[in-house]
Amino acid sequence: MAERPDLTVDLGRGLHLCSPVMVASGTFGYGFDAPQVDRAALGAIVSKGTTLRAREGNAPIRIAETPSGMLNAIGLQNPGVDHVAGVYAPKWATWDVPVIVNVAGDSVDEYVSVATRLNGVPGVAGLELNISCPNVESGLQFGVDPQLAAEVTGAVRAVTELPLIVKLTPNVTDIVAIAIAVEDAGADAVSAINTYVGMAIDVRRRRPIISRGSGGLSGPAIKPLALHAVWQVAAEVHIPVIGIGGIMTVADALEFLLAGAAAVQLGTVNYLRPQAAAEIHDGIGSYLVQHGLPDMRALPIRPVSVLTHV
Amino acid sequence: MSIAVAPAVVVERSVPMAAAIELVVSHPTSAATVAPGQFFQVAVSAPHTILRRPYSAAWSDPASGLIGFIFNVVGAGSTWLAALDEGDELDLLGPLGRGFDLEGARPAICVAGGLGVAVFPGVVKALIARDRRVIVLQGARTAAHLLPSSRFQGAEVHVATDDGSAGHLGSAIDLLTPFLQTPEQFPPPFTGEGRGGGFDFFACGPTPMLTALIDAARRLEIPLSTIQVALETPMGCGIGTCLGCAAPRAGGGYFLTCQDGPRVRADRIAWDLMTDGFHG
Repeated sequence: MAERPDLTVDLGRGLHLCSPVMVASGTFGYGFDAPQVDRAALGAIVSKGTTLRAREGNAPIRIAETPSGMLNAIGLQNPGVDHVAGVYAPKWATWDVPVIVNVAGDSVDEYVSVATRLNGVPGVAGLELNISCPNVESGLQFGVDPQLAAEVTGAVRAVTELPLIVKLTPNVTDIVAIAIAVEDAGADAVSAINTYVGMAIDVRRRRPIISRGSGGLSGPAIKPLALHAVWQVAAEVHIPVIGIGGIMTVADALEFLLAGAAAVQLGTVNYLRPQAAAEIHDGIGSYLVQHGLPDMRALPIRPVSVLTHV
Repeated sequence: MSIAVAPAVVVERSVPMAAAIELVVSHPTSAATVAPGQFFQVAVSAPHTILRRPYSAAWSDPASGLIGFIFNVVGAGSTWLAALDEGDELDLLGPLGRGFDLEGARPAICVAGGLGVAVFPGVVKALIARDRRVIVLQGARTAAHLLPSSRFQGAEVHVATDDGSAGHLGSAIDLLTPFLQTPEQFPPPFTGEGRGGGFDFFACGPTPMLTALIDAARRLEIPLSTIQVALETPMGCGIGTCLGCAAPRAGGGYFLTCQDGPRVRADRIAWDLMTDGFHG
């Protein structure tokens, strides 16, 4: 039995994580605002969605709590890629934890421009292509059509040497088809899932609580749905799958890893328990020891990419 | 920034006014550092809730290590909080955000509406400690919903109620006018820069009360830069990562209530875009 289990994860193209626990885009800013978090326990930080030019985001109200979940419609508020590359990345370059930039855009050209600007910038460890934001006009456009998803993935692949993760939306009929399309187009990994489109209505004021009407649902409310999506995708692609969706506890994270995820991202739980990443990292290690498993690759309960999805 | 993630212990629970609960907790490190107007993200264990709740400290006392929170029971989180009793632990994240700028020599007028009064015991104490003249204008639904004037030692307290059961029949904003129409009653350092130019204002209350205050300020020639408001918005993280607590900024765009506030100068806010409904 391994006394000190190997928790490292290889996401491809040189992106090695010292921990399977990452923090999800939009829940950790650009890594500067959570001084009480032990960054050493993090496999990677995924930044806020970053666009070519700065964006102000949506008008308030932007968030609402729902049963065991929350809706958000932030609207990609971010300072633009030049600020990220010029001001933030030099600071990241001094950190031990890799920072992956989540890239968003309205057009293939915008994704390509952002990726081009970030290519070769010290401090940027990889890209996560956000083709799944439900909270801006064109956000979902690329993520719901296999051809468009492949087109934007291929176009970004052509301009970057960086490890390329594509973040999938669950707001589709067949998430596996999208996953296969982006794998074929050159993605090094996929992350699944982004939020589910949902809404809540203020009964007293008789209007949607979120000013935009709808928002993206996250939190434990979506965990079983997310887990099934990961289970399906992991069976069909030959690249690492990063599991996301309502993970609050060590057991939640293990479910995703057993379902075939190579790593996980924590989102909403960061707001409630900033120390959750460290706890879950330690808990996964303890689980490996208890079960006599040598490393992360021993966790999936079925051989990855063998079974057809159920 | 020093942020504590450590349990506080409830040492006292009381009902300071109708429909409100006051919890006094012991948390010496936070009591020593929290400034009036700052807030804590309070974890609640109510079923099916997931976010912490932002609560401003009503007051703090570094000597005893105590902090007071005053809140209404409005939802699952505050219901859970209200059921806590002496000895129970409370998970606080904070202190967070920007508190009030208390420096200066001019008389201070504190305008409190409804539960907005919850932030003022500490503010008034800090202003008095700076030898400032303090006037508290408190509005509430009824006499029973007023925080007792004894909580504002050293201040002149004037009250208004919606039903006239105590003080002026009307709102706290109505109470402003007589002060500003007779500026000669105020000794120096009142300078007479506009009728309302001799004061510093501190305000907290529902959005309609704040917008009424701004309307009154414009009418009474009070510079908005002399008004500080404590905002309440829905909040996710409380530390600037989720971007959920945006409020409209004068000149366009948004600021974050958790980082740039909750205390904000009134001239920094696009009041025509302020949304009623922040209290859910």
